[in-house]
Amino acid sequence: MALPHTVGIPAVRARASLWRRARTRETTTALLFLLPLFVLVVALIVYPVYRAVWLSLTDKLVGYPERFVGLRNYAYLAQDDTFHAVIRNSLVFTVGSVGLKVVTGVLMALVLNNVIRGRNFLRGLFLLPWITSTVIIALTWRWMFDAFPGRGFFNSVLLDAGLLRRPIAFMATPEGAMMAVIVANWWRGFPFFGVSFLAGLASIPRELYEAASVDGASSWRRFWHVTLPGLKHVMIVTTLLSFILTINDFNIVYVMTRGGPGTATQIFATYSYQVAFGQLRWGRGVTICLFVVPILVLGIVMISRYLLRDRK
Amino acid sequence: MLDSRISRRSLLAGAVGTSALLTLPRPAFPAVKKGTSLRLWILKTYVEPTNKAIEASAQRWAQKNGASVTVEYFTFEDMQTKYVAAIESNSTPDIGQLETSAPARFAGMGQSWNRTADGYGVMQSLMYSHGVSWAGKDGKYKSIKTAAMQKVMKWATDIYKDGVQPADTLTWTGSGNNENFIAKNIAQTSNGPSITFALENALAKATDAKDRKAKEEALANHVALPHPAGPDGRRMWAIAMSFGIFKTSKDPEAAMSLIAHLLSPEETVAVMKDSYGQFGPVLDKARAASKDYFNKNDNYRTFGRAAEWFAPTGWPGPTTAAAAEVQASNVLTDAPAKVIVDKWSVDQAIEWEDKKIKEIYDTLRG
Repeated sequence: MALPHTVGIPAVRARASLWRRARTRETTTALLFLLPLFVLVVALIVYPVYRAVWLSLTDKLVGYPERFVGLRNYAYLAQDDTFHAVIRNSLVFTVGSVGLKVVTGVLMALVLNNVIRGRNFLRGLFLLPWITSTVIIALTWRWMFDAFPGRGFFNSVLLDAGLLRRPIAFMATPEGAMMAVIVANWWRGFPFFGVSFLAGLASIPRELYEAASVDGASSWRRFWHVTLPGLKHVMIVTTLLSFILTINDFNIVYVMTRGGPGTATQIFATYSYQVAFGQLRWGRGVTICLFVVPILVLGIVMISRYLLRDRK
Repeated sequence: MLDSRISRRSLLAGAVGTSALLTLPRPAFPAVKKGTSLRLWILKTYVEPTNKAIEASAQRWAQKNGASVTVEYFTFEDMQTKYVAAIESNSTPDIGQLETSAPARFAGMGQSWNRTADGYGVMQSLMYSHGVSWAGKDGKYKSIKTAAMQKVMKWATDIYKDGVQPADTLTWTGSGNNENFIAKNIAQTSNGPSITFALENALAKATDAKDRKAKEEALANHVALPHPAGPDGRRMWAIAMSFGIFKTSKDPEAAMSLIAHLLSPEETVAVMKDSYGQFGPVLDKARAASKDYFNKNDNYRTFGRAAEWFAPTGWPGPTTAAAAEVQASNVLTDAPAKVIVDKWSVDQAIEWEDKKIKEIYDTLRG
């Protein structure tokens, strides 16, 4: 019994060695294939994030080398009344815009889903705001909300219709200016929601609607119990994406109000821009942007867990 | 200047230095090497002929010296971002035209305490003309919690009462005042000679007698006024555009030669004549040489005197980094906005503004 065993050892060893070599070769090939991706991830994600975090821990001024100051920038912002206003404004702006986009996106999808003739034309038409330059959109809405009759669209219409005696200065109050930037952002973004929801509607089986109808469900109940659950995943993903894009938005506020009146529409991106490029305090400017990261990470983690749980 | 660190902070100080230097007898500059190539960044103003005139002046220097000059433009909007990016990436030009403090503009109703130069420039003039400054002669922080500042703040916020001021001017961006002035919605606006340029240009392009008459009337009926004076005199905020040579320049001597050429009286006057009053002379010789040009009419006389009334940011002290940051932080205009929009009291707003200014002085290094 011992002989074959003794004889077999070199053969087994040789096989093991071959297998090891093959594995090493495979691993090396795999690593080589992964290398470009690794380089890209490090260069485009890891390094910029590391650099941003590092800058936020320094008192970097433009043209000067950075000096480590620990959490001083964070401590400063935590007690800065302007930054408190920026957080409030950013949340109102984002939640307001995204909320409107979800509602109108659903409406747009439902309408387009029931249109038989000219659906493609209408879909293209609805997409216009999304493909128009943001600066043009911002300027257009700025003019529409203008207080001067003959210049501001809303005031002109309301005055001509006899519904107003004096024009409303929408942009003169914090509420009015915030509403204006929200509306402009909503108008630009709702087609994305509409088109995404339309694609989601197409994937809901017809049988579900038929079964619900047979059971006597009203159109509202069919919408509530079939359409909405069917759109849930698309809705979560589009809302999350839009939330991230909107909370980081810059153009609309910068073009329409520059963050005014006072600091009433100053949001993360515009305040960060002012501090980093106007005041040349890069360290603090980067810190303003980094403040938003935990909020976004939390949102992403929660939604990912929710989606994964659903899949299980 | 040649070795200064190039950030706004040092540029502000450095640019003033360049102007001062050129008022002295002109030093003998080394001959420019044949084939020298320079990059020059200049401001693209609203008066197109000015841009072309500076570019032509630079090309005259290049031709005379067998060199070449590449002219690139920046605008008021992207001045900061373009310089910041260039400084941090070590890609600065040889010479850059720089804003020492802010654009030369003139005041009127349609006065916005918005977050642009149209707002904070006028507010600074008001404060300085009332003797209020946030810095002493030594350039160090000084409190603005004074009776004179209360007067300034009261005036600045009272003009928003009773419909005297279009309420939404607080959110006007850089072009809002021009658009509304052109649309005849406001009688006055804070602006520079670009309006004069637009009116003169429109007249030159008039197609028939009727059109010409209307444009002549419009030109004759507009008046340029300096920022309002106060009990302490007239200390007006204006741009002081200066040229700076960057540390990264491969040929600083040639760069200095080009600047000397651009600021020579004959070249300055040539550019000025194409600028419709937008460029006012600062240096003594250029002022003397352009006297006739700025005597054309009352508006031009006002433009020509801008340099006399000019008080740099940081007055009565030097234009320090902290003084410039006070302007850039928009705190000068955010304070009256707190009274107008958030209904704070004048004292509360001054207290807030003073705290913000002190914080800038306390935390700035460099």
